[in-house]
Amino acid sequence: MSSIRFKNVTKSFGAKEVIRDIDIAVADGEFLVLLGPSGCGKSTLLRMLAGLESISGGEIVVGERRVDQLPPGQRDMAFVFQSYALYPHLSVRRNMTFPLLMQQFQWWYHLPLVGRMARNRIEKRPDVVTKIEKTARILALTEMLDRFPRTLSGGQRQRVALGRAMVREPQVFLMDEPLSNLDAKLRTSMRSEITALHREIGGTFVYVTHDQVEAMTMGTRIALMRDGVIQQFGTAREIYTDPANTYVARFIGTPPMNLIHASLSGDRASFGSSQLRLPQTYTTRAEVLLGIRPNAISIGQKEGAVPGRVVIVEHIGAESVIGVRLDEARTAHEADQSMDAVMVTVPGYTELAVGDAAYLSFDPAQAVLFSSTSGERLRP
Amino acid sequence: MTASPISHTLRPLAVLALLGIAAFPIYWMVVTSMTPSSELFAERPNLLPSLGQISIYGEVFRTIPVARWLWNSFVVAAGTTVFSILLAILPAYALSRFRFTGIAILGFALFATQMLPEAMLVVPLYSIFGKLSLLNSLFGLILANTAFVVPVITWIIKGAIDGIPLEVEEAARMDGCSRIDIVLAIVLPLIAPTLAAAAVISFFHGWNEYVFAQTLISSEQLRTASVGLASFVGELSTPIHAVMAVGVMYTLPAVIFYLFAQRYVVAGMTAGSVKG
Amino acid sequence: MADLRPSEVRLEGNSWTPYLFAAPVAIYLILFQFYPLAQEFYLSFTSTDLLRPDDNPFVGLDNYAFLFEAGDLHNVLWITAIYTVCCVVFAVGFGLLAALLLDAPFIGRGVARALVTIPWAAPSVAVALVFTWMFNAQYGIFNHGLRALSLPFGAENWLDNPLLALPAILFTTVWQIFPFSSVVILAALQGVPHELREAAAIDGADRFNIFKIAVWPTIQPTVFMLVLFVTIWSLRRFDLIWLMTQGGPIGATNTMVIELYRQGFVYRDLGSAAAIGMIGLTVALVVTVIYFKVTLAAERAQGKR
Repeated sequence: MSSIRFKNVTKSFGAKEVIRDIDIAVADGEFLVLLGPSGCGKSTLLRMLAGLESISGGEIVVGERRVDQLPPGQRDMAFVFQSYALYPHLSVRRNMTFPLLMQQFQWWYHLPLVGRMARNRIEKRPDVVTKIEKTARILALTEMLDRFPRTLSGGQRQRVALGRAMVREPQVFLMDEPLSNLDAKLRTSMRSEITALHREIGGTFVYVTHDQVEAMTMGTRIALMRDGVIQQFGTAREIYTDPANTYVARFIGTPPMNLIHASLSGDRASFGSSQLRLPQTYTTRAEVLLGIRPNAISIGQKEGAVPGRVVIVEHIGAESVIGVRLDEARTAHEADQSMDAVMVTVPGYTELAVGDAAYLSFDPAQAVLFSSTSGERLRP
Repeated sequence: MTASPISHTLRPLAVLALLGIAAFPIYWMVVTSMTPSSELFAERPNLLPSLGQISIYGEVFRTIPVARWLWNSFVVAAGTTVFSILLAILPAYALSRFRFTGIAILGFALFATQMLPEAMLVVPLYSIFGKLSLLNSLFGLILANTAFVVPVITWIIKGAIDGIPLEVEEAARMDGCSRIDIVLAIVLPLIAPTLAAAAVISFFHGWNEYVFAQTLISSEQLRTASVGLASFVGELSTPIHAVMAVGVMYTLPAVIFYLFAQRYVVAGMTAGSVKG
Repeated sequence: MADLRPSEVRLEGNSWTPYLFAAPVAIYLILFQFYPLAQEFYLSFTSTDLLRPDDNPFVGLDNYAFLFEAGDLHNVLWITAIYTVCCVVFAVGFGLLAALLLDAPFIGRGVARALVTIPWAAPSVAVALVFTWMFNAQYGIFNHGLRALSLPFGAENWLDNPLLALPAILFTTVWQIFPFSSVVILAALQGVPHELREAAAIDGADRFNIFKIAVWPTIQPTVFMLVLFVTIWSLRRFDLIWLMTQGGPIGATNTMVIELYRQGFVYRDLGSAAAIGMIGLTVALVVTVIYFKVTLAAERAQGKR
């Protein structure tokens, strides 16, 4: 069994607390993605799981075993590094055999001659050979088995790193931004390869990335982190449609969810001279941020719509992204996006141009509300 | 990575043992210099210096021309430093930036000098210096020392110049600098730490050098501290603690100076040679 | 004319510049190193007395013949070989251990790294002096310690004992030169990618295996270079040995350089001294050639070429 449970895990470097009270669990066979910007602690958390960093408090339990006090080699986990970390002077075959060799290692193998003989014997064993060849076949590495890492491309090295992880048949696969060093096209194909791999070999995967597209497409469960705290833990769908706070709302989605300053009363959200009728009634009366995704807004008739002016138009091909500055309301977007525009995506090639008037209709069913002071999600 | 508790206690002990081994002989030199004669030959050795004996230093200073020796050593060391760096800069630059057959030979020649013992070349040098009237002069000694330290210095400086991107020089060229201007105004400031390291290395070579100082200088007035100290080894009339006192006066400035400078030496030596 | 690298063409100026840059040091070295060397070469074929250096009657290969047949050359070569090999093994070995020890982070690491270089900073003459005193039979601190711990050799006069002199000299030499190895290797250790170490740890490697698979391949070129330099410098080390034992007792520490010096300055036979010098130089050259051949072969085997 390889379910993973983080129980109130914390980590401090000296006085600085970098991981605060992480408490989540994933079931056996899940694909957990740790998502977040640089410095949020996702890599640290992964390394704590692997045993490459110590934990300052709490417990990590894998299956039935508590692992946080065990050294990295004994946790039955494999780790794929961002830089692949292949052994430079060993062939691909030897790189992949190395973990198997270490599993069988006896202390007397350190002796010069005995060690070499023992190593050769292990390398030639039929079960070892079969395993290597099978793994190589799955990863399309068969022609490269006797080449050295220095002669391989980034994508090939990536696959060798995966192979080295796979031969151990571990309970848990850990990956630290493995696709960051690849070019965009390769990244997309490797993404689906890794997902297919997960389906084929089972096991629990924990995957660290800053790329929300990777997270949304690959993960069965996503933990979005910021400054050492988990902002939201859930499935991709939950995080997209049901964000827990404004940070999550703005992190996921391209373009991200719009946040508009509004006043909430009962089932009405008012901004400027417009009013949106919400499907539920809220008990609080407050200043809120109205969250609405770009694809939940349409541009059309003047009648009853929110007025604004187009400030930017981007033609992506299959759709167009239009930024509209509202005449009577302000957005709560980050200061560096100084356009103060509501982003709208429309299918096809829009005729609108910068400076045109635009009339927006919001779909109330897809609207979500956040407190304008704390950014937390408001519920009815 | 999580460290085992055993290594937690073993490592500091091992480090302390290492430092003890490294520092003890120098410490012992200091202790012996401050141990009164009576205790030097006692049954059980005194492991701590008797601070009351510090007057020995004053005595040594008066009876043995240590001050003059140290001054001569300083002159030789400083002179070697200046000369060797001046001499090494241009070939270091050439080795780094230019490619032609002559350069390869120069590089090999510099390396080959590492195989030549001073003891072997001292005789021909003696006769050459005799013909050039450079015998028995600190200047002559400086010249001899420079010849032996320039290859090492050149190599280190070359390594640092390797680490400077060519674009910087090209930009200067666009601004109308001649090659020599580039070297003086652009390259040298950028490799300052390495120059400091080179200075330390050549200074120490000059300060520590023995064979040439022994052979090429015959006058008492110009004797360096290395030769002066060596004259006590095996000689029995001067008391041990006095000899050690001279040793301390010769060694401690060098060691202390080096302790402060070593960070720069290491940084300078490895500049431009970072391998991934 | 000088053939410049492609990017150099843009910086083209006076094409005599490279030669001008190289000239001063070339002239200097020719004058103070290579001309003397040539003189030594010539001297080795003459019979010259130290006190009459300009009187050089040609004797052909007599000096060499004497050295090989009647002289002490076999012993000298043997002692030189032992001294050199032991210096390399122990100085590089301890340097490696010290570097590994000082590599991991701990409080006071910077201070420790500085202090460990003390032996290297100490002048050879001073080192010879204090170690001679420490090796003294009756009053030296080493023997005090040996006697206190009831270990053997506590009454020996180390530098006067044919069996113990060479170990004593080796001990002193290694003490003085291991910090240099340590500093160089420490610098190389900084270039070991920490992810490589971590990958090995995760793969279940113990400390030795981590060293073998992640650390050693990265530092190996540096260590090999270090071995070459320590070898060559050991072949020419003079001050320490001369001041402590003058090559004695009974030739127990008589390396080639020591024998050279003695022939020249004690026996006043400059011809023989020069001959030994030439032989020593040949040995150094052979060692260097072997070194480069071995490293090239090793790199090829590792798939680097």
